[in-house]
Amino acid sequence: MSTGTTERDEARPTESVTVTINGEEVSREVEPRLKLSDFLRDEAGLRGVRVGCEHGVCGACTVLMEGDAVKSCLTYAVQADGFEIETVEGLATDGELHPLQEAFHEEHALQCGFCTSGFVMSSVELLRETPDPSRDEVKTALSDNICRCTGYHNIYRAVERAAAELDVRAGPEGE
Amino acid sequence: MSRAEPQGDAGTAAESEGESYTGQPVKRVEDYDILTGRAEYIHDITPPGCLHMALVRSVHPHARIEAVDASRALDHPDCELVITGEDLKRDYNPMPSGLPGFEEWSLATEKVTYAGEPVAAVIASDRYAAEDIADRVQVSYDKLPAVADATDARADGTIIHEDVGTNVPDGERFEFGSPSEAFAEADHVIEGEYSWGRISGVALETAGVVAQYDTDADAFDIDCNIQLHTLVDDTVYDTLGYPPEKVRLNVPADVGGSYGTKIAIHRYCCLAAMASQYLDGTPVKFVEDRVENLQGGDMHSTERDYRVKLAVDDDGSIRGLDVWFVDDFGAYPRYPVNQVLKPLSVLTNAYHIEDVVYEYELALTNKTCQTAYRGFGVPAHLYALESIVDEAARELGMDPADFRRRNLISPEEMPYRLPSKNIYDSGDFPAAFDRIVDIVDENERVEGGLLDPAIVEQRREEGYIRAVSPSIHVEPGVSGSDWTDRQRTDRSTLADRDRDDVAELPEHLRGSVREDGSIEAFLAADSQGQGHRTIVAQLLADALDLTPDDVEVSYLDSVEAPTEYGTAASRMAVMLSGAADGLGAALKAQLRELGAREFDATVDDVVYRDGVVEHVETRERLTLADLAARDSDGEYTVASYDYQHPASVREEFDEVLTDKLPVYPTAAFAANAPIVEIDTQTGAVEILSFYTLRDCGTRLNPMIVDGQAMGGLAQGIGAALYEEFGYADDGQPQAITLFDYLLPSVKNMPDLELYHQETPSPYTVTGAKGTGEGGMIDGPASIASSINAALAEFDIVVDQIPATGHRVRRWLREAGVDPRGHDHDQEADR
Repeated sequence: MSTGTTERDEARPTESVTVTINGEEVSREVEPRLKLSDFLRDEAGLRGVRVGCEHGVCGACTVLMEGDAVKSCLTYAVQADGFEIETVEGLATDGELHPLQEAFHEEHALQCGFCTSGFVMSSVELLRETPDPSRDEVKTALSDNICRCTGYHNIYRAVERAAAELDVRAGPEGE
Repeated sequence: MSRAEPQGDAGTAAESEGESYTGQPVKRVEDYDILTGRAEYIHDITPPGCLHMALVRSVHPHARIEAVDASRALDHPDCELVITGEDLKRDYNPMPSGLPGFEEWSLATEKVTYAGEPVAAVIASDRYAAEDIADRVQVSYDKLPAVADATDARADGTIIHEDVGTNVPDGERFEFGSPSEAFAEADHVIEGEYSWGRISGVALETAGVVAQYDTDADAFDIDCNIQLHTLVDDTVYDTLGYPPEKVRLNVPADVGGSYGTKIAIHRYCCLAAMASQYLDGTPVKFVEDRVENLQGGDMHSTERDYRVKLAVDDDGSIRGLDVWFVDDFGAYPRYPVNQVLKPLSVLTNAYHIEDVVYEYELALTNKTCQTAYRGFGVPAHLYALESIVDEAARELGMDPADFRRRNLISPEEMPYRLPSKNIYDSGDFPAAFDRIVDIVDENERVEGGLLDPAIVEQRREEGYIRAVSPSIHVEPGVSGSDWTDRQRTDRSTLADRDRDDVAELPEHLRGSVREDGSIEAFLAADSQGQGHRTIVAQLLADALDLTPDDVEVSYLDSVEAPTEYGTAASRMAVMLSGAADGLGAALKAQLRELGAREFDATVDDVVYRDGVVEHVETRERLTLADLAARDSDGEYTVASYDYQHPASVREEFDEVLTDKLPVYPTAAFAANAPIVEIDTQTGAVEILSFYTLRDCGTRLNPMIVDGQAMGGLAQGIGAALYEEFGYADDGQPQAITLFDYLLPSVKNMPDLELYHQETPSPYTVTGAKGTGEGGMIDGPASIASSINAALAEFDIVVDQIPATGHRVRRWLREAGVDPRGHDHDQEADR
């Protein structure tokens, strides 16, 4: 084996990035090539953001950026500068699970759980935009995410259960 | 028999005292941390000061390494270390091999034998830099001709391991009964050839390891997501050249899937550990990226070419079976080689066949090495067997359902000893088969159903052919372990073995009563999402008259745990329920003894119930918390239990055990009826609905059982229709991203209609049979059968898995089928 001997001299180029994550501002000097997924995991300490493929297929790293679901492995941190990011860590309030989290638990919609935060965040986007989705709409919304454990059935059942729960909470007036 | 609809508000658990939690859909204790992002997977572990490793991988499938030049890498300001194969040869050991005679190092030495094989490791301050630096390592290669096809490899034109001298390092022929007579006397001999493509579990979480060398203790701490960490830890400590107690493998409570495939990721553990040792104890982390995982991650599974013969009589009776196959093992024979042997445990599936030949050859090619995957070689066998059954029915002009029914093992024959000596414990195959046929008829062959004749005909006119062909499949459960080294054993000695030579590994569980009266239990196994903690909490609660909330379950690392077998082969439901039952009994006995001491009474005067110890006459009571307080040295409140493998304690398994043939004492089974529709224009196969009737004995937690079934079926559907690691003729892998290796998404999943029956196993404590591999075992074969039924009129048989749209389209064109769904005419030839 050989050990490196050169002094650490060449500074790698960095840029300043400020992102509001789950309501809290995080500012860092980071390389322009740093993926948003790595920024969230390593700089902001949000390990609920999972990295499964790093090429935009599996969806495990899905977060909301300005309210839209994005694959954070296909987004660079510098592209999120000034934006609001929501991750699975921001869903539960005062220790009480978000209806989607609760529904995933109740419907056994997770096994190993590695894909789960991505599925939950894709579902958050769906239910905000389409509070009463058809099964086809649920399936379309979830088709950007891969799960290897559950066979999906319990996942879309969970989303439908959460939609019903949120509908009840919104009351008969529909808010 | 119940339809598996959403559990709804069926309840978290039995609330009332005295009611059993076993059999109830107790919600998982694992979920909360996962759902809130608090779970700690291996990727989340990064100790302070941790350095990061990246691997330089071969771009060639077969080449001599002329030189590895690390100078440009070392010039990079963030480079800490570069390791090559020569370093390992000087300082460490080769990796344990699946077969004697092979020397494989954690980094390639003289030559590379598959694209993606690691050649050098670089360590840097962060992963981005490590990958940059890896690109600066210059490897000079002298390219060699590569062999990527097992049939070509068998000809030994290009030898991959010159010192071994052949690409077929292992093979065996088994004859059971009198197959030559059966084939000579039968009215017909049907022959078929079938190929099973290279697939894998492709867990969403890739391999990861964080290793730290302790300079003071001269020992290693290795966090990793390896599967079977107490069984395969020898692959790490042997390679490092240390005794087991110096190499601590710790697997996080949450692992992002494995399905058998992470058994083989030991190379990464070793390299990270070696790097940490070279760097005087600085922790080193490695996270495999997805391209590495798909290309050279040592996690591909079986790839087989079969030649199968079936001897049948005019009346549809199967007389004999002859199975030959070559298994493409990739560049090195890894542990576990015996993926070719497990099918012997379900040799004839659900059929009564006494005269059988089973022969395999193991071929080495310039491809990624092969390891275990859900079902451990059985799915391909069932696919080949069910395919020849379809062809036989076709040749006899019989309905495939009638042909199958005629040959099913009857319930009166249970327990049923296979010609290969394993035993099916219980079950009523004909009843299950008839039931799934009836279910489909009642639900779908009715007006408006998927198989409403009017709809089928209408779709046909539009160029879509619908069909279903019910089939039944046995899932061997609860591996015995002694047979797994058959291929590493001198086979001439096998005949001289007796029962005392058989070494079986029990499953270990330990537990203690904590100060607050709760129970803390420890598993010696690891978990990849199966919900082991929940199951153990549920079972221990029953054993100790508590609630699951009273039991907290954790895991032991490889040094703390005895060398046990762990999580594999649908073992855990059975082995953990036996262990929990035994541990509960042991704890109760000890607590009664403690109570007797405290009450100054005899043990007979003391009872344990509802979590308290009570004097039967004085009614004095001590709670678990009281008892813990009075047992300061843990003499009575700590216990452990080793549950023996159920075959190893029963005489009827002596023969299969001593012969080192696969031992699986439980026979779960499934009767499947996937309704398929084939687009004759594109060849695309859509599964419209998947009916399945499943029997895994007692369902300890029906919610988890259904989850296993649905997940297994999803993987089975992927295997049958989409997934494959293709290779070019020159050995270059063609599926190295998830754009090439197609995993099923929610859009590819049909409606799953799950039905259950429960035939408890007579051989296990709870009657559970194990169900972790179901779906993947039976899904592909049953889908192929339904496609065969759809295409029978064109005399097409699915002779290659996966049956991708491209392949089905080719079969249709070769059969002269007009894309608009009409039969062959001259137009189709033009």
